[in-house]
Amino acid sequence: MVFEDIYKAYWQKIFRLCMGYINDYDLAQDMAQETFIIVWQQLPKFRNEANISTWIFRIASNKCLRQIEKQNRFLKAELPINLKEEKEEKEEKEENIEPQIQFLYKCISELPETDRIIISLELENIKQSEIAIIVGLSEVNIRVKIHRIKEKLTQKFKENEQ
Amino acid sequence: MNSNINFNELWAKQKTGEPNKEELLSKINKFKKSNLKRLIITNLLLIITSLFIIFIWVYYQPQMITTKIGIILTVLAMVIFVIAYNQSFALFRKTTNTQSNSEYLKNLIAIKAKQQFMQTTMLYLYFVLLSTGIGLYMYEYTQLMTAFWGIFAYGITSIWILFNWFYLRPKQIKKQQSKLDEIIGKFEMLNEQLNEKE
Repeated sequence: MVFEDIYKAYWQKIFRLCMGYINDYDLAQDMAQETFIIVWQQLPKFRNEANISTWIFRIASNKCLRQIEKQNRFLKAELPINLKEEKEEKEEKEENIEPQIQFLYKCISELPETDRIIISLELENIKQSEIAIIVGLSEVNIRVKIHRIKEKLTQKFKENEQ
Repeated sequence: MNSNINFNELWAKQKTGEPNKEELLSKINKFKKSNLKRLIITNLLLIITSLFIIFIWVYYQPQMITTKIGIILTVLAMVIFVIAYNQSFALFRKTTNTQSNSEYLKNLIAIKAKQQFMQTTMLYLYFVLLSTGIGLYMYEYTQLMTAFWGIFAYGITSIWILFNWFYLRPKQIKKQQSKLDEIIGKFEMLNEQLNEKE
């Protein structure tokens, strides 16, 4: 497997996973890039016994989980007001997409951390058996969780419409 | 749930510009360099300290065995500390991030606990070795002083060591512990999420 091909094939997917997890455009890009740095480092060790997509999504989701270590530092340091405004303006510009998309990502990022990963993988059309391997839970467990998360999301969307 | 398909579509609409490969490669390079830099700095510190001690040994020609043992203990303290410190970070580099999330989390929790143990034990060892080393090292030179100055020198040193032992050391340990405890707590919380009975 050539790194560049992997990069091309997975960049958007990994970015979406990070975005669903953190719901911050810049941070998600950084996390996606860091994921690819790990992929690049580990690629020589990759053996074909595992599915490459499982392998990459494991790296990416573990990267997301590690994010919790850093989060506090972000929260403690409140952004200065002018910076905040700039940031908001910027966000408006780059995320001038359907508000529904924004809402979906916002809802997902508010879920418990592991649920964010599970639903992101599901929405990325990854087979539930593969999600089970990525997360390390049984397939039944994953199916139940996905069902519940989707219910929660649907409810939130309904509430939002009203 | 008729909106299932909707979610998938919405999800896929979130796009981002692909950063050009050069940017990523430059990040990879920077990453490589910073790792190398850290390795060099740690080793430099060790080499410089050892050279300094050897210089003292050669230049002042200590006569007594206590002085020599003192020097060895002091160097040992520093070496052990630096090595342990580095190793506790190396633990993370060795974890395989290609494990499943649940294995990975369990692994992280185990590593953090190990790190916690290592840091307190090593700090303890460091202080004991360093204090004993300095105490022994001083002996030869205080012999040359009058009794008053000898006691004075040892008194000042003891006060300094006691201050470290009873004030700085607990403070340092507390700082590390609370940081690690917090992180372990968070990882455990994540792990809990996966263990929930369905």
